[in-house]
Amino acid sequence: MTAILTLRDQAYGVTIHAKVAELSRPKNVSLGAVYVTLDRLEDKGLISSWLSDPTPERGGRAKRCYRLEALGERALRESAATAKRIWDGIAEVWGKEWAKRWAKEWAKER
Amino acid sequence: MEPAPPRRTEAIVAWLVPPACREHVTGDLHERYTTHGQYIAEAVCTIPLVVASRIRRTTDPQVLLMEAFALYISFLGVAWKLNGASFLYGQWGYLRLAIPAAVALATLKLEDAYANPGKRSPLTPILQATFSFGIVCLSQAALLAIDPRWVVPMRIMIYGGAISVVLVSTLRMLFPPCDTRPRNAT
Repeated sequence: MTAILTLRDQAYGVTIHAKVAELSRPKNVSLGAVYVTLDRLEDKGLISSWLSDPTPERGGRAKRCYRLEALGERALRESAATAKRIWDGIAEVWGKEWAKRWAKEWAKER
Repeated sequence: MEPAPPRRTEAIVAWLVPPACREHVTGDLHERYTTHGQYIAEAVCTIPLVVASRIRRTTDPQVLLMEAFALYISFLGVAWKLNGASFLYGQWGYLRLAIPAAVALATLKLEDAYANPGKRSPLTPILQATFSFGIVCLSQAALLAIDPRWVVPMRIMIYGGAISVVLVSTLRMLFPPCDTRPRNAT
């Protein structure tokens, strides 16, 4: 859902997979796993999809584009809040200095 | 010129992808094409997951249970009527009868996954049930060559199969597969 949110109008299979691969580094994510997840999110009403016009770089085939629904945005906000709480909990135990250093390293790696 | 997968390979891949997702999945695979090997490897990893997802989307667990019950009961009822307790208790009958039922159910689920949502006729349930019975007969022939002890007797197969076709067709007419999903797609 984060990938769909950040990609906006350009959210379809290939771009979503690339974004998910970037977000889940160093773990590998297959294209098939992305389709399965998108199907599940769609069934839950968190995202919706439509077929775009065919393009020549895809062999004349259409893209299935995705967008976040209101329910999905709410779920994403809740997930972000949970991630923040987890992060705060870790920072509290391992120290603020560690958190700052880690954030710097992470930003450099990105 | 953009690199593109060989037409024959792409046609095979397109044929293996369920029609409901064929357009975008083959398009995505085409767009990600770099080499022939990469294309095949990616298709081999992607297609089973796409099919599994399609099966999940087209399956209603309650109807699945009803179909499994109808299939097993068809063969069990016929076996009880024709051969009685000697077959069921003495020759692993209960287990042997589960084989054609399981094969028929798996075939029906694959048929649902590969069904074209736009092309559904009133005859589809009958054709699907008959085709699954054909696959069951083929599987029994294969089993005969591998291990004849597990084959269901011919008479039970024919009568049980005929009853199962009627029951499953009726069930599928009453509860058609939920193939209208994705619900929110336009």
